[in-house]
Amino acid sequence: MEYLIHLAILFAIYAILGVSLNLVVGYTGLLSVTHAAFYGVGAYTTAIFLTKSGVGFFSSLILGIAMAVAVSFLIGVVLSKFKGDYYALGTFGFNTIIFAVFLNWQNLTMGPLGIPGISKPELFGINFTNNFNFLVLALIFLVLIYFASRFVVNSSFGRALKAIREDETVIAVFGYNTLYFKLVIFVISAAMAAVAGSLFASYITFIDPSGFQVTESMFILAIIILGGLANLRGSILGALFLILLPEILRFVGFPSDIEAQMRQVVYGIILILLMLYRPQGLIGEYKL
Amino acid sequence: MRNKIASFCEAILLRKHNETGKINKMDILPQFILNSIIAGAVYTLVALGFNLIYGATKFFNLAHGVMSAIGGYTVFYFAKTLGLDVYVAIIIGVVLAGLVGFGLDKLIYLPLRRRKASNMVLLVASLGAMTALQAVIAILFSSQFKILSQNVGTQKLSTILGGVITQTQLVILLSAALVTAGLVALLYKTQFGKAVRAISDDEEVARIIGINTNKIIGYVFFIGSAIAGLAGILVGFDVGIEPTMGLGLLFKGVIASIIGGVGNIYGGVLGAFLLGFVENFGILKISGEWKDAIAFALLITFLIFRPRGIMNK
Repeated sequence: MEYLIHLAILFAIYAILGVSLNLVVGYTGLLSVTHAAFYGVGAYTTAIFLTKSGVGFFSSLILGIAMAVAVSFLIGVVLSKFKGDYYALGTFGFNTIIFAVFLNWQNLTMGPLGIPGISKPELFGINFTNNFNFLVLALIFLVLIYFASRFVVNSSFGRALKAIREDETVIAVFGYNTLYFKLVIFVISAAMAAVAGSLFASYITFIDPSGFQVTESMFILAIIILGGLANLRGSILGALFLILLPEILRFVGFPSDIEAQMRQVVYGIILILLMLYRPQGLIGEYKL
Repeated sequence: MRNKIASFCEAILLRKHNETGKINKMDILPQFILNSIIAGAVYTLVALGFNLIYGATKFFNLAHGVMSAIGGYTVFYFAKTLGLDVYVAIIIGVVLAGLVGFGLDKLIYLPLRRRKASNMVLLVASLGAMTALQAVIAILFSSQFKILSQNVGTQKLSTILGGVITQTQLVILLSAALVTAGLVALLYKTQFGKAVRAISDDEEVARIIGINTNKIIGYVFFIGSAIAGLAGILVGFDVGIEPTMGLGLLFKGVIASIIGGVGNIYGGVLGAFLLGFVENFGILKISGEWKDAIAFALLITFLIFRPRGIMNK
């Protein structure tokens, strides 16, 4: 049971990451592979404030979001100028650079050793060291972010995003400032990823840079491509499937020492098969 | 691992110099120039293959880096585990890397091209291929760092212009020169090269004038991947191999190609050496751990100010 709750918490965290990345990749058509960087910014901000100062979890969460907004704004200003493949490459670049910051800013992030002993949240006398309580907290955030995302994509702002995805030149001719739209959605998405990061840091109570590399961004990308682009429920479905995948593999009888690798093999093959036979993912509404 | 040791040594070296105050950075300058050239040669090899494939297919083949790991691990298996002659193992490694690249084209990229899939779809498919192949290597050989060369630390060192260079590194320089020359000859002096250039210009037109484009692109994948395999083997002898080595090499190759001018052979070489120099001289100012970040910062600078690279107008 304890293990099921653990899986459910991970699922909630990755579902948040998936839903928020879908705003950029699925709805706006920008192939971003830098989501793990903002996930990391959230996680590190929370970890640093919780271990080195007296602020509580929820204040550190807000600070994490603020930090992600600031960082993603700077990155987004540059990225908004790129298109297609070059956009993807640029995002690879920024993920690598932010990872290098986590790794090398030793007196703040403790470098490769990571930050241990991050405390768990406490609010109105409810103690979230209990995993079940934490799960409820994570699910509340997932629901909030899901509905916030739904509000964004169903608004006129969201329609402009889809128009940019279909044809950026046409929508620019109509007088929309596409750079502004691309930047705003990028920042919103990063802020949501920071929430997932804060939850992750305080749940695991330990973080190190290795969890926020380009490969992690690729994993999040795999979640939304599998579930379906431009479909928020698809991202949740994708997260559910890819979190349960190791368990399925174990059930089928793969030895656990190659489990991590086996998971990579399977999701690599899933990506290839999807591209070959179903580029819009399971329930997606947009093909790359 | 070795990177860490190297940067540690550099740090000590620099600190020592600062303490004494008499010796300045000029003394290690030749070594830095030499290191930049060696790095440039490795990046040249990766960029050449990447550029060749990009020129013909116009998509970012992220699986290209894994060919390096395949080359390196094949040599490890045949030379170290089976005890085969090293040179035979190297040939097998290069050919196998080429064949895997060829196979990926036939199994994944060709069907996607037939379906007129967008570049993004091809990019994501190659991402999947990269992830899966990398993990397969890790399953077969474990993800631990391995060393290819048998005589660690006993390699003959030569001194050029006041810098120290190992034999392996000399071979790297030589290979980069030979492969570049060979590729230029292939592209500009043969019928096959003409066909490849025609496809790079416009695949549709090339097909109309009767070039079997899919067959030629298959060969291009073989050649490009074989060169990547060679790069992986050389890096394996110089530094070592690990399953994830491909991603780092790929990024360096891609960055070199883009800042030089993507799809342009000379551009790739130029970009590779520029990258080698910027990276190595960048760490004179800040620690060696920042190398990758420096490389990407260079890429992003180019994407902003000169997105088509040095050579392309």
